[in-house]
Amino acid sequence: MATRRCLLRLLSRRLVAHGPQPLALASIASRALNTLAQPLAPHCPRVLDSPRLFPSRCHFATRSSGDEEEDEDDHYEKEGSEDEWGEEEALAAKPPSGKTAEEKVAEAAEIGYAVVGPLGDDEKLFKPYEPVFAVVQIGSHQFKVSNGDSIFTEKLKFCDVNDKLILNRVLMLGSQTQTVIGRPSLPDAAVHAVVEEHALDAKVIIFKKKRRKNYRRTKGHRQELTKLRITNIEGIDKSETAAVAA
Amino acid sequence: MNKGKIFKLAKGFRGRAKNCIRIARERVEKALQYSYRDRRNKKRDMRSLWIERINAGTRLHGVNYGNFMHGLMKENIQLNRKVLSELSMHEPYSFKALVDVSRTAFPGNRPAKEGLASIL
Repeated sequence: MATRRCLLRLLSRRLVAHGPQPLALASIASRALNTLAQPLAPHCPRVLDSPRLFPSRCHFATRSSGDEEEDEDDHYEKEGSEDEWGEEEALAAKPPSGKTAEEKVAEAAEIGYAVVGPLGDDEKLFKPYEPVFAVVQIGSHQFKVSNGDSIFTEKLKFCDVNDKLILNRVLMLGSQTQTVIGRPSLPDAAVHAVVEEHALDAKVIIFKKKRRKNYRRTKGHRQELTKLRITNIEGIDKSETAAVAA
Repeated sequence: MNKGKIFKLAKGFRGRAKNCIRIARERVEKALQYSYRDRRNKKRDMRSLWIERINAGTRLHGVNYGNFMHGLMKENIQLNRKVLSELSMHEPYSFKALVDVSRTAFPGNRPAKEGLASIL
């Protein structure tokens, strides 16, 4: 009886709020059922319950456009619903925040010390070998690279195959005449690389066993890697004979 | 079948462990356990190998590993041991430059000259 009272109260509230929108009876009832469940959340604050209801919302409603859903979200937030509901509804309705804003994408790439430049043209970037090396840091791994090397790193997000990268966290440069040591990094140095492939590592089998206790677990794992090809190192004098400053 | 996978993993084992399922199954399970443990040990082993190599490289220039690393930390040089060991093997002049930087930052208890020259 209490549920029926709540249902009627909510129906009246929802109809007044939406106003002139033509609503099918089925959609009202389904929306009311879903709204009914949410007010119960403050009484029994179990976070597990509310996410289960959100996928069901999509199945029940015979909605034509997604605009009605967004209106509902706004209304919920305006009605002063709890923060819990607002966040979960935002998670259900909107895509992850990192992909929407391009600034966030750029920041994340810089955390991995790689700036994604434009895609490769038909130009040949691959020069012959030069006796110059750089120590570059990507994430938490450091590599001593030279022109034409290929390195495997942890999977780099936000870049596809054939993308040019600039690795800007360079810790040391060396050539036949000069050695430049950064403390900790060199601000003017840059290492150009091209993404060769995004691949999975070989499978490792994770096997756990406790003897005489009937416990045995097997799991397979393939780590995601990115293969980079180093094309150019900038920031150091590459001449082979020392230019003597008289 | 599982037997086929066991025999595939048992390639190269000694005696009946590569041919007979009862023995192979035990040996393969032990091998997988060892590989789980050793994936963690490999990181430790590699680091101690790098430290040995850096030690050897710096002692050629009259500085021991401890003082060398202390000097690098003082100068805020964040090269890790893997890269330092590669430099000590393949880039001798750059490595000498690093040793000199570390020596100026932290002289250590030995004088800057070679060992014999300090005695004579």
